[in-house]
Amino acid sequence: MDIAELKAELETLHSASFGWALSCCRRDRGEAEDVLQTVYLKILEGKARFRGEAAFKTWLFAVIRKTAAGEYRRKLLRSLKLITGAEQTGDRASPEAGPSAAFEKSEVQIRFQTALKSLPARQREALHLVFYEDLSLREAADVMGISIGSARQHYERGKKRLRETLDTAEVAYGISWRRKENPNAV
Amino acid sequence: MELVGEEKKIQTLFSELRLADERTAPSFSATWNRAQARALRPRRAFNLSFAAATALLICALVSLAWWSRHWQRTRQPNVVAIAPSGVVPDLKPSEVAPASKVSPTPSGSEPKKPASAEHRFEVSARLRAERLAARQEANLLANAKKQATAISSWQSPTATLLSSPNDDLLKSLPQLNESANDLKSFLPNTPK
Repeated sequence: MDIAELKAELETLHSASFGWALSCCRRDRGEAEDVLQTVYLKILEGKARFRGEAAFKTWLFAVIRKTAAGEYRRKLLRSLKLITGAEQTGDRASPEAGPSAAFEKSEVQIRFQTALKSLPARQREALHLVFYEDLSLREAADVMGISIGSARQHYERGKKRLRETLDTAEVAYGISWRRKENPNAV
Repeated sequence: MELVGEEKKIQTLFSELRLADERTAPSFSATWNRAQARALRPRRAFNLSFAAATALLICALVSLAWWSRHWQRTRQPNVVAIAPSGVVPDLKPSEVAPASKVSPTPSGSEPKKPASAEHRFEVSARLRAERLAARQEANLLANAKKQATAISSWQSPTATLLSSPNDDLLKSLPQLNESANDLKSFLPNTPK
């Protein structure tokens, strides 16, 4: 695959990639942008090479996941060394800024995102890949680098836990989270 | 994947999230151009961690090489010291022969070999090793002699308490064929 083809593929998947990077970076937009940029840089330099062993999307998401994990580790180290983010660019948007601020502040989404953040990373990833990116469990397992059985476990447990958290928080989605399932209860 | 019940609700929540993310996602061209600019940026020539790792590796290699050389040197004299020619005269000439063949004697009885630098180095190293072994052996012998002398001349600190002026009388027995006068000397209160 030459660079022009790669660029076209990446452009098609850009928004999905950004969404996945956001999920991998615990919805930190600045960090997600950095990660995505680093991923493109890796592809440009040939450090990440697509060999056609999996679907392009699966491969790209796996690269994003690894890069995000590496960045997170580096960030942790930096914070341990008490080096504040002097290298961070000033033009980076804050997680709350931007046109999405109103949406982010909607109660349902806030609770949903809080519930999502409370999930263990693997469960969150499995849910994101299946529901957000419309991947199959097999593809999600490939991206996460685990077996399909493990991916299914994370998916089921994540779903259960998310439902429980949302129930506890009494998220009023639609009429009600519970009411919609059992209309006779109203 | 077919979604049912609560999965559809989760899907709807995720769809809303995706729509919001798409609205706020940075443009592809901007991200790509920034990545390209980073790729073109000259890299720092001196990477501190890489340099430290390289220095450590070099140190480890040098010390390993020095140690292996030192180990070989120290091992060679031990072989010589175990069976030095002077101490073990029982060895047959055939057994000693390989060592004597290998070690050139300063007498010059052997035919001269080509005096290459490597050969000369080998010869000098071997001579040095032999000299060292001989010195060690001499030291060992001297120490052994000292110890033997010390053991043979050792006296108990209380030995003087056991000696008395009548030691001769106590240690000797009267003989039957001795004269009566001599025998009288053993009796108490008898004038000699």
